[in-house]
Amino acid sequence: MNENLFASFITPTMMGLPVVIIIIMLPSMMLTSSNRLLSNRFHTFQQWVVKMITKQMMSIHSPKGQTWCLMLVSLIIFIGSTNLLGLLPHTFTPTTQLSMNLGMAIPLWAGTVFLGFRHKMKSTLAHFLPQGTPIPLIPMLIIIETISLFIQPMALAVRLTANITAGHLLMHLIGGATLVLTSISPPTAMITFIILVLLTILEFAVALIQAYVFTLLVSLYLHDNT
Amino acid sequence: MAGAEADSQFKFTGIKKYFNSYTLTGRMNCVLATYGSIALLVLYFKLRSKKNPAVKAS
Repeated sequence: MNENLFASFITPTMMGLPVVIIIIMLPSMMLTSSNRLLSNRFHTFQQWVVKMITKQMMSIHSPKGQTWCLMLVSLIIFIGSTNLLGLLPHTFTPTTQLSMNLGMAIPLWAGTVFLGFRHKMKSTLAHFLPQGTPIPLIPMLIIIETISLFIQPMALAVRLTANITAGHLLMHLIGGATLVLTSISPPTAMITFIILVLLTILEFAVALIQAYVFTLLVSLYLHDNT
Repeated sequence: MAGAEADSQFKFTGIKKYFNSYTLTGRMNCVLATYGSIALLVLYFKLRSKKNPAVKAS
């Protein structure tokens, strides 16, 4: 049972070769592009989703920040589709791996910070000291703000990893419990099954919400620095 | 971000003109001064440890 619980989080290999690269590329292979002005239903729906995301995410940004439009829209679609695909049984979810999420969080966060230092050095440095701080608290608050800046990419990555991993683990546990209880006490198994269904619905929401939160936070860091 | 326009409402004199927690320049200078002090402290302790090497156990 213990080994089975974490088996779904092991990076899959096929004959010794890692297939995780193909798994990461899968959402982009499923989302098609078209050279027609009016395409089929699936593609039209895809375009509608991208338009809605672009309007929602990019309206707050300055023209400089809006140059990140492609990056941010791609990010939310990638994380959202990866998380949703991971809810299928017996699939591997790349976003349960901290390495992958750190690989997304750190470069994006660093990009926004460097952009801020490059274009608004004074304002970016002044950000480390909130306005109106009493004089005795100034050094301590600057150190605290610096630490909180460096914690941002860690929090981004760990938030996504923990949410998706915890959801998958819970589904595993409750599914296993339902199966075992079927032979012991069917009414209890029924209750557990209802809980499992509700949890699965929650996990669908969490998959999309976590993608939105990740991208929104990167967007906010960008907005602060442009 | 309203930087210079918001800064002009504050009329500080003396050292407070350059180190305060209200104007953009003041906040930036406070941040740089804090980082500079930390760097100097680190440098001081590093050079001090080089001057007095650890005594070997006999």
